[in-house]
Amino acid sequence: MDLRFSKEDEDFRSELRAWLDANLPAEMRESSWWADKSDAEQFEIRREWEAGKAAAGFAGIQWPTEYGGRGGTPGMKAIYDEEMALANAPRTVNPLGLAFLGPTVMAIGTDEQKREIIKPLLHTEVIWCQGFSEPGAGSDLAALQMKAEPQGDHYVLNGQKIWTTNAMHGDKIFTLARTSDPGGARHAGISMLLVDMHQDGVEARPLKQMTGESEFGEVFFTDAVCPVDQVLGGEGNGWQTAMLLLSFERGSSAIGQYTEFRRQWDAVAQLSKQLDRDGAPAVKDPVIRQKLANSLVELECLKYHSWHVLTQTSAGKDLGFEASMTKIMWSETFRLVSDSYEALVGQAFQVPDPSPGVTLDELTTMALWSRSCTIWGGSQQVQRTIVAERVLGLPR
Amino acid sequence: MKFSLTDEQRALQDAVRSYLRDKFGPTQVRALYDDASADAVPADLWRAIGEQGWLAVLVPEAYDGLGLGLLDAAIIARAFGAATVPGPWLGTVLVGEALRLAGSESQQKSLLPQLAAGEVKGAVALSRKGSLNRPPAEAAQGKLTGRLELVDYAGVADVLVVAAQDGLYLVDPSATTITEHESLDRTVRLADVELGGVAAERLEGSSPEILQELLDRAAVLAASDLAGIARKALTDTVEYDKTRVQFGKPVGSFQAIKHHLADVHLGVTMAEYAATYAAHAFDIEAPDRQLAASIAKAKAGDMASESTGAMIQYHGGIGYTWEHDSHFYFKRAKRLEYAFGDASQHRERIASLVLD
Repeated sequence: MDLRFSKEDEDFRSELRAWLDANLPAEMRESSWWADKSDAEQFEIRREWEAGKAAAGFAGIQWPTEYGGRGGTPGMKAIYDEEMALANAPRTVNPLGLAFLGPTVMAIGTDEQKREIIKPLLHTEVIWCQGFSEPGAGSDLAALQMKAEPQGDHYVLNGQKIWTTNAMHGDKIFTLARTSDPGGARHAGISMLLVDMHQDGVEARPLKQMTGESEFGEVFFTDAVCPVDQVLGGEGNGWQTAMLLLSFERGSSAIGQYTEFRRQWDAVAQLSKQLDRDGAPAVKDPVIRQKLANSLVELECLKYHSWHVLTQTSAGKDLGFEASMTKIMWSETFRLVSDSYEALVGQAFQVPDPSPGVTLDELTTMALWSRSCTIWGGSQQVQRTIVAERVLGLPR
Repeated sequence: MKFSLTDEQRALQDAVRSYLRDKFGPTQVRALYDDASADAVPADLWRAIGEQGWLAVLVPEAYDGLGLGLLDAAIIARAFGAATVPGPWLGTVLVGEALRLAGSESQQKSLLPQLAAGEVKGAVALSRKGSLNRPPAEAAQGKLTGRLELVDYAGVADVLVVAAQDGLYLVDPSATTITEHESLDRTVRLADVELGGVAAERLEGSSPEILQELLDRAAVLAASDLAGIARKALTDTVEYDKTRVQFGKPVGSFQAIKHHLADVHLGVTMAEYAATYAAHAFDIEAPDRQLAASIAKAKAGDMASESTGAMIQYHGGIGYTWEHDSHFYFKRAKRLEYAFGDASQHRERIASLVLD
């Protein structure tokens, strides 16, 4: 038992902190600074900032140096996630590219794909979307219908993708489509295509979320084209490629989520001292105290779980299906913190500035956002089935 | 970053588990349940616990102990929970801890070696029944008054450690009036102790801080036992539901059961981590050790209740019978869930540590 990071890892932390101190202005750490900027403006600022960070060597922390990464340890990646959350640094503009596409290309891409995709992705020159879900294929991904017909040296794509993060900002999309009809075999005949979104046959439309933001959208393909060499993992191997791609989430320690939610919890705790409940500060109310304490229990358990994941990945072990536990744990904990916030503010949940000195819009947006995290990336119900069958060994 | 047991700790865990697998299983537990007159301190088991060094784990080497940490004791507690081991292990270990933390040299010298060897059995009364930390006794001029309620193994203990308003006291139980209760959990013997002005020896180094330290250490060991119960109840349930067929399928294939068991697995895993971290936090004197102790006790208490409840439910009718093992785990979980502060009391303490 030794919960310290290595000296090498801690040196990395100091270096990153120093860089953040010099390159992340205080105002950019405040949500109010972002409030009066449009979605497009915000995105461009984040993109530019992230490019600068990549140029300084703080991108692809665990990716090999030959691909422009830093070649760091799992400990450094955890420290990076923690420090970025502590600094309230802008979120990455390329979340799906970084989490999924990059590692997959490094694992099974052609030399040309590695050259063309990885560096521009790290330096935010190309924003990648993920085109998996369709209106009829959410949790049941293999129900996907989008067609890609081979015609000479390219495919012709027709169909629709939905819940596409950064749909309005994407340059390219890695997407699953049916390139042949294998009959009844649902997992066969699928290919993963790398499609240019800047063409007439591709149209992205924003979807307004319950927060009012449009961080995701729909993408329509109408006779869109994709050259045949833009297949990742080989034609007809799309399902296997997708499963490999999704497996790269397994190394995530969730220490970044812990750090972010703990800041949220601290803000809620602070608020409990300011808000009145039955004529006294809400923090005196025994039920509020139980709720806040209970969400803190889960938060700290999330931290212990992160240490466990980090212990495994640092020893070079694959977390396997335990990764589903990580997803359930962080998203449920986030919901619980949000629940205690909602219970605390009560009627004031409806308005952004209920009383002088009290501003709720950031916390309320977080609370609403927490409702999405138990759905995307494999819903809670799908994850529970995985844990039950693959971790506990219960029958299908 | 290594949030995992050392090789030595794994060896200790294996040794305890393998001893219990060979010598003390559900058959022996059942014997305690089926014979109300059976002694909940099986002599062979108690002797072995002493011989194996499992009582010596926290006793300093200078007093014939092993001088190990709370995490090592927590490993034993968890294995004992999983096997519903009877006997005054926890009370004896805690009397040793009280002496180690607050006893004079002569008090330590006279008792620690015997406690480490299992020659002297101990019991503790650190808070009033239903209270997180209110002392159960009143001290005046070296005499203690008050009634200690539902004390584990007071009836078999050779020495009691009792908390009063001004510190911890050593009490000779034979000089008190003891009334034993028949306990629902038969892997324990519970008794009330009427102190009646018994002469008691104060542990010199006692202080409110040391009483709190002792309460926290007790909570961590109880949490470890609870985590062991919770895991065992879940494992047995999963195994049963893989093979029990209804509607032509194993019941474990039904999503209503699967999803709940997945949640229980996640929660029990967190309880295990929480108990492990809390024990380690005391070994390294981490600044958040009090918080960690309360987190562990709250989480492990909740999950032991949840998991043993699921065990009964997902075994169906058989799970509610005397002849099935479910009730061993459920009843032990209910005993320890409310010992050394229940989940709500620990959540209130968490609130007072972090919010006030």
